[in-house]
Amino acid sequence: MTEIDIALKVLDHQILDREGRRCGNVDDLEIEGGPGETARVTAILVGPGVWAQRARRIGWIASFVGGGRRVRVPWEDVTEVESHVVLSKTAEELGLGRGDDRLRPWIEKIPGAHR
Amino acid sequence: MSKIFGVALGILAAIGGFVDIGDLVFNVSAGATFGYQLMWVLPIGVVGIIVYSEMCGRIAAVSKKAVFDAVRDRVGFSAGLGALIASEVVNLMTFAAELGGVAISLQLLCGLPYRWLIALAVVGLAVVIWVTSFEWIERIFGYGGLCLLVFAVAAVKLTPDWGKFGNGFIPHVAQNNSLLYAYFVVGLLGAAMTPYEVYFYSSGGVEEEWTPKDISLNRANAIIGYGLGGFLSVALMVTGATLFLGHGISPAHLGTIALGAQVPLGEIGLLLALIGILFAVGGASIDTVFSGAYNLAQFCGWEWGRYRTNVNAPRFTLTWIVLLALGMGIVMTGVDAVVLTEYAVIFSVVALPLTYIPILLVANDEAYMGRHRNGRLANVLGVVYLVVIMVVALSAIPLMILTNVGQN
Repeated sequence: MTEIDIALKVLDHQILDREGRRCGNVDDLEIEGGPGETARVTAILVGPGVWAQRARRIGWIASFVGGGRRVRVPWEDVTEVESHVVLSKTAEELGLGRGDDRLRPWIEKIPGAHR
Repeated sequence: MSKIFGVALGILAAIGGFVDIGDLVFNVSAGATFGYQLMWVLPIGVVGIIVYSEMCGRIAAVSKKAVFDAVRDRVGFSAGLGALIASEVVNLMTFAAELGGVAISLQLLCGLPYRWLIALAVVGLAVVIWVTSFEWIERIFGYGGLCLLVFAVAAVKLTPDWGKFGNGFIPHVAQNNSLLYAYFVVGLLGAAMTPYEVYFYSSGGVEEEWTPKDISLNRANAIIGYGLGGFLSVALMVTGATLFLGHGISPAHLGTIALGAQVPLGEIGLLLALIGILFAVGGASIDTVFSGAYNLAQFCGWEWGRYRTNVNAPRFTLTWIVLLALGMGIVMTGVDAVVLTEYAVIFSVVALPLTYIPILLVANDEAYMGRHRNGRLANVLGVVYLVVIMVVALSAIPLMILTNVGQN
């Protein structure tokens, strides 16, 4: 299997950070190399910002609703490709899972949120 | 010994948790309209939900993927997004119908105004979800739902014609009014194979960290739980058939359904029926809001889980809170819960192939499943049911229009 085969296999898979936290799906891939050259995966792209290019109008709407943020995770930071994609860093270091982190303080204010 | 006890408790909860408002409405109405003629549809529906639940439970155990993880993986972003939107709409409709059912059964029990009770029900459900561990939620609602067994006693006490009852299990076409008959076939199948059940089941499997060792437990759970749950559906249809057929009564109100237990068993029958209905639709309300939150979180890759604390899955938590509020908004408009139920079941039939096709594909995919991929039996049944589902999905809306939502 070439690197590209592996990369295409990870498209749309769940991403787990180093600590096993769910922090997004592989929404798109960044591939380098023009015609005649060997294609090379350079990064996975995560976030609603890339949805518009995945599905036309409905993808654009979903992207708009989702806030349009996109995060680039260099391919070097991917350590494992099984049924999930595992990263070598934490979500926080890579800027992933930001929505959950931002919302947490609000949820915490409700009594009993830690149960 | 304690393990057997645990399994038994789980099964009891599953029986109580099987019936939701869709089953209540369609089974009793089918009995009231066609007597025992539609009995044969019940085993078909029950086997269908067993086949697909077993598959997604196995997928959860082997690949650690819940339904919407697998859907997106397998059919890609744009088709997955379409399936997500359809499922979320149907889920919300189903939740609103269940919530309406909670408010109606509370109203019949205590007599307070309907709209107050809707608000009370939503607050009550939110508090229960917030403070109670999921294990207990399942038990409370599952055991409460067991009160529905009063319908089995009622069915026997109403002395059904056992010969006709038996004949009803032989598939046949209608002698008259075949469009309405077909509408009920679709509705009964839809009520038995409601999609939220598979979302909920598979996500539960991932959360409980099933491994390939749990595959036989998964199979037993699906077969026994849904199989015995189907027994309640039979009792409900018999009650409808013996009590209402020929009297021109169609149970357009949940209270009429409860009468099915009151007539043969008196006040205590009515009370048990109402409590059973309350817990059954209350449990289903929770299952449906969670399913909605699961699907969105899995599609987007967020943290999710009912075994996680609320702070550890913030967007998942927010999603179910928002769904509770949206459902409340829908029911507050005063839309009739039974009518809403019929629409929810029929539309869920239309959305069924969107979830069941990817499940079948993943369960067959060696890359995901290795040696645990579908065997011959699962595949034959899976494909047969897929054909049934496609036919039913394509005919659901036309039948709904032609029969004026089962009114003619």
